Amino acid sequence: MNCFMFPGQPLSHSGTLPDDADFCQIAQDTRERAGLNLNDFTWTGTPSTGSVALQVYGVAMSLYRKRLLVREEIRPRLIAEHSMGIYPALAASGALPEGDALELTARIGRCMSVMSETGSYALGCIVGLPGEIVISIAENNGVFMANHNTSRHFLLSGERRSIESLEAEALARGAFSVKLFPCDAPLHTPMMEAIGDKLQEIITDYRYGEPAVPLMNHIDQSFLTAADVPDFLLRELLLPVYWEKSYLALRKAGVTRYHEVGVGDALKKYNRWIESEAARSL
Amino acid sequence: MEEELINQVKQLIIDSLRIEGMNPDDIETDAPLFGEGLGLDSIDALQLVVAMEKDFGVIVPDAATGTVVFQSVRSIARYIAENRK
Repeated sequence: MNCFMFPGQPLSHSGTLPDDADFCQIAQDTRERAGLNLNDFTWTGTPSTGSVALQVYGVAMSLYRKRLLVREEIRPRLIAEHSMGIYPALAASGALPEGDALELTARIGRCMSVMSETGSYALGCIVGLPGEIVISIAENNGVFMANHNTSRHFLLSGERRSIESLEAEALARGAFSVKLFPCDAPLHTPMMEAIGDKLQEIITDYRYGEPAVPLMNHIDQSFLTAADVPDFLLRELLLPVYWEKSYLALRKAGVTRYHEVGVGDALKKYNRWIESEAARSL
Repeated sequence: MEEELINQVKQLIIDSLRIEGMNPDDIETDAPLFGEGLGLDSIDALQLVVAMEKDFGVIVPDAATGTVVFQSVRSIARYIAENRK
């Protein structure tokens, strides 16, 4: 059973882009609906931040790769998503047109970027520590768990100075790797409630159809209905991503092939870790 | 350093990272593993740490050691040779 997995925002963009008809169509939609020129990474209208550009780029590339898979007659029986991968996942499930997914991504991104005008935020990627220690580090430094990807791969989110201050503690407590990434807003934390009303206004501007392919959400691993989508789109910005739970639920649902539909292969690597850990425990 | 250990490390990388369509001969012994080399990242590195412990009984205790060990196949093999029981 095939599953299409849609990853979240990439951390960088590739200088080399495809030049086939599908990509040209996606690039045109991205210019027209999101205001981003993918070819030179410039804004066609009001400029926004690099983070917003990466969010739009990630969604565009997911939509493009989904088209390629479908051209190869590879179709999903289930769809899963991670963080901002929800927007192309909605499009792939038939719940939202591709153009709306691009526009929605850009509008949500721009709304979040306003937080960077009055605050400074970052993400901290911690590899190698168990969850209880990472939670303790988060609490000690006043930040939040944003991604629970596997038993040893986590993302913390919060104010930049707090994220920077936890690096030394994480390394001292045995982290294998700690990396910090500046961002516009404290994504996947309760701090996003500060712009909750504005996000809600954007989300309710769109009409969401019933997913034609079952779409598993990354919070509680249930399948989204059309009625669930608006509430989920807001909640997912305030709550952590639980990828390990999603993968285990997908496996339990009978998925045998996982296609990562987007930039990079982080989700496949998380799956590999979860699988190998399960094998070690046998 | 034994060529056999070098090849074992290459096979360990292929097996533990589940790299499809690659043979040990395809991996350069001295090429960087991260970035422009094999393109590995910290998720891969942690997978290698676990595999090294399982297959060779060698522990990479901290991030600083990992930075030194995971420069290339040769540096991994050297670390294993020096630390295995």
